[in-house]
Amino acid sequence: MHFEGSEAIRAPVDAVWAFFMDAPSVAGCAPGFQKMEVLSPEHYKPTVAVGVGPVKATFTLDVTLTDLRPPHHATMRGHGIAAGSGVDLESQLDLAATGESSTSLAWTMDAVVSGAIASMGARLLENTAQKVTARFFECVREKLGTAPR
Amino acid sequence: MAVAIQGMGHSVKRKEDPRFLRGRGNYIDDLKLPGMLYMDILRSPYAHAIIKSIDASRALTLPGVLAVITGKDLDAAGLAWMPTLMSDKQMVLPVDRVVYQAQEVAAVIATERYIAADGITLIDVDYEPLPVVVDPKKALEPGATLVRPDREQKDNHIWHWEAGDKTATDQSFQEAAVVAKEDIYLPRIHVSSIETCGCVASFDKMAGKLTIWMTTQAPHAIRTVFSLVSKIPEHNIRVISPDIGGGFGGKVPVYPGYVIATVASITTGKPVKWIEDRSENLQADSFARDYHMTAELAATADGKMKALRIKTIADHGAFDAAANPSKFPAGLFSICTGSYDIPAAHMEVDGVYTNKPPGGIAYRCSFRVTEAVHAIERMVDSLALKLNMDPAALRLKNFIPPESFPYKSATGWEYDSGNYPAALHKAMDTIGYADLRREQAEKRARGELMGIGISTFTEIVGAGPSHTFDILGIKMFDSCEIRVHPTGSAIVRIGVQTQGQGHETTFAQIVAEELGLPVENITVEHGDTDTAPYGLGTYASRSTATAGAAAAMAARKIREKARLLAAHLLEASPDDLEWKDYQFQVKGDPARAKTMADIAFAAYTNHPQGMEAGLEAVNYYDPPNLTFPFGSYICVVDIDRGTGEVKIRRFVAIDDCGNIINPMIVDGQIHGGLTMGMAPALLEEISYDEAGNMRQSTFMDYLLPTAMETPAWELDKTCTPSPHHPFGAKGVGESATVGAPPAIVNAVVDALSHVGVSHIDIPITPWKVYAILEAHGLAAP
Repeated sequence: MHFEGSEAIRAPVDAVWAFFMDAPSVAGCAPGFQKMEVLSPEHYKPTVAVGVGPVKATFTLDVTLTDLRPPHHATMRGHGIAAGSGVDLESQLDLAATGESSTSLAWTMDAVVSGAIASMGARLLENTAQKVTARFFECVREKLGTAPR
Repeated sequence: MAVAIQGMGHSVKRKEDPRFLRGRGNYIDDLKLPGMLYMDILRSPYAHAIIKSIDASRALTLPGVLAVITGKDLDAAGLAWMPTLMSDKQMVLPVDRVVYQAQEVAAVIATERYIAADGITLIDVDYEPLPVVVDPKKALEPGATLVRPDREQKDNHIWHWEAGDKTATDQSFQEAAVVAKEDIYLPRIHVSSIETCGCVASFDKMAGKLTIWMTTQAPHAIRTVFSLVSKIPEHNIRVISPDIGGGFGGKVPVYPGYVIATVASITTGKPVKWIEDRSENLQADSFARDYHMTAELAATADGKMKALRIKTIADHGAFDAAANPSKFPAGLFSICTGSYDIPAAHMEVDGVYTNKPPGGIAYRCSFRVTEAVHAIERMVDSLALKLNMDPAALRLKNFIPPESFPYKSATGWEYDSGNYPAALHKAMDTIGYADLRREQAEKRARGELMGIGISTFTEIVGAGPSHTFDILGIKMFDSCEIRVHPTGSAIVRIGVQTQGQGHETTFAQIVAEELGLPVENITVEHGDTDTAPYGLGTYASRSTATAGAAAAMAARKIREKARLLAAHLLEASPDDLEWKDYQFQVKGDPARAKTMADIAFAAYTNHPQGMEAGLEAVNYYDPPNLTFPFGSYICVVDIDRGTGEVKIRRFVAIDDCGNIINPMIVDGQIHGGLTMGMAPALLEEISYDEAGNMRQSTFMDYLLPTAMETPAWELDKTCTPSPHHPFGAKGVGESATVGAPPAIVNAVVDALSHVGVSHIDIPITPWKVYAILEAHGLAAP
């Protein structure tokens, strides 16, 4: 599955970058986040509960950040496993200052989902992913204290 | 006569129904043994991955969890792999990699079923996902992801199989005036029997005896395979197949769960029960079909068929775990010339591995006959379109003539008997074919979509004969043992195994007819290898053709001894006696007669000196040929231009299965078979996404037909007995499943042929039809 989107955030690009480089902040915005083990600023293991239709699963993810070009680009890779399900993610994050205190954020997410959550939740998966993404960015905007509109 | 015999041709109510209807059946999951443990299986979320590690420590701390079994444990005992029925091998539990989603990864043994289920969620497996190949055509490309690195051959090709005469066929195609060609895909489907698979394995350490209650259609073959693999002497293995809630081919293979439960019982010394849940059954148990066929039919300009050519890619998933006779990797697919006199034919099938569950079993069909029938019946309609000929007229022009039997087909089969024109004429008269064609023309002029589809199929069932057919080297005969008790009742034990077919009734009727004993006084036993004679089991419509014949032959042996006893009682010469009206009577003096009950009593109380006491016989029947049941089905559909929904308005099924034992049971088999034929035609399909996730792992997405979708089937028969079967029967359990799908597809294509549609792959869903309607400007606004 491929998802992509862009967000306009009313915060300086450095603040947005700092937010995304702070694992606890990012993880705190992930819907279903439970706990996290931080191994290094670029390597952490969050535990996240996900529900797709009838299937509920708690994923332990292994997340690494690579290709860091502050404050403009980061690549995030994640590999996660839950009872009966697996997920592999690759996300690209691109930031650009659009003003002194406004930033445009473009992101892509490629996800390969395996197991029960994919086979039983197949028809709901894309919809659920969109909802989760929307809630994540809503949280990001709130955390940066500058939610638009 | 005090009690009715009710032999051949009587609609005797089924002896098994009182217990089934009252909830008193005895299925595997009803079995509870003292101290019994429960097993649950952890399955792979990935379709293809390396297993880097399995950590069971958390699971083992859960109170009630006694053991976790992994591939490494089995490997130490040489049991990580097992043979399939098709000369391939299959992982029982993986040591280092998984090759399809829902593959067994580890098993938890616990004191309670729920604890076992909780236990599997506490096993930590570290997987490294690998690229996945789900499309068999891509699997054949150079450099494709290798599904089976354990093999010496480093590609995904399993085997190549051909039948017929390639040179003659190609020559005919070169000379042909008209050629019809279609790409036909028969998707993966699943038998979805009401009872999932499972077993209770119980190893008695004191006696050294292993007893396995198992959902199997072939208990004796399983016992032999278990003995060969485990090295436990065969007399110390007892396989019991109790009441089985539907098999349809899905309970022929050996699944890893059976083996793991057995290992668990041997290890713990306690009985271990394993029962699949519905999703496990759908995801991991053997699938059916998955044939990608390219078919061509050549004919003269006036519609005389000259040659048939089919190339097929058979997707077998990660292991070739089909259940075909050993010499037939593509089953009986070469019956694909069907009911037609086609002088030349050639077919090729290539088996391919993909990262999908293994199988290729026959979903209520005799070894790929459904695929063959679908191909030829679709191609006849495609040819009729090319020739602008009525599909009924084209069939009548090309049928094997009734006087040509026994008929040798271009692919080498000898058809025993048939009268195809009679069956089609009966179907056309019953449904009012000419009137329907007139109605269709009128409706088409008004813009309404209605179609008429015909399927005039021929089956090939009843394997052996043993010179050609075996499973893992075990010849495909079958058996029956009859013991007549002193007071004129009897026990009949058979080598085949019922899963709902009604054997307890029909086999009693066969013996009742042959011995003149009332059907209610005859008990039929099956499914217990300690008591039943050796047989290859029930599938492929083979029970009546093989064990049914054995029952008649064993009864006739008894009757020959009974003749001697009757002669003794009547003080007459055996040659002066005749078997008439279910008794031995003196020729010309019918008042002097002895019934089988009289004779049976004498066999134990008053037998002549020098003759063995008792009245019993056993027969192992090796059929001289297969039997070839057939039928003519006509289906009428209406298509909703607003939704694309196909509604079956009428469906007439004329079946010919030779002489019938129990007409009510045969009609029941046809009702069920037609519904199971409609299901893949309109509803059922298993598909995978690119990551190898199965999209239909519950009944929410795998659409079984209900009473809502099922039309009122209209049944009738013709009767063309098999000349070589002891009582002229042929087998019918699968005719309708095989014959129905092309009738439905042909009807839908017929409704849309005027806009150029010549083929639609099944399942014909409303979505698929609506897309066609839209493409041709036929969708209602």
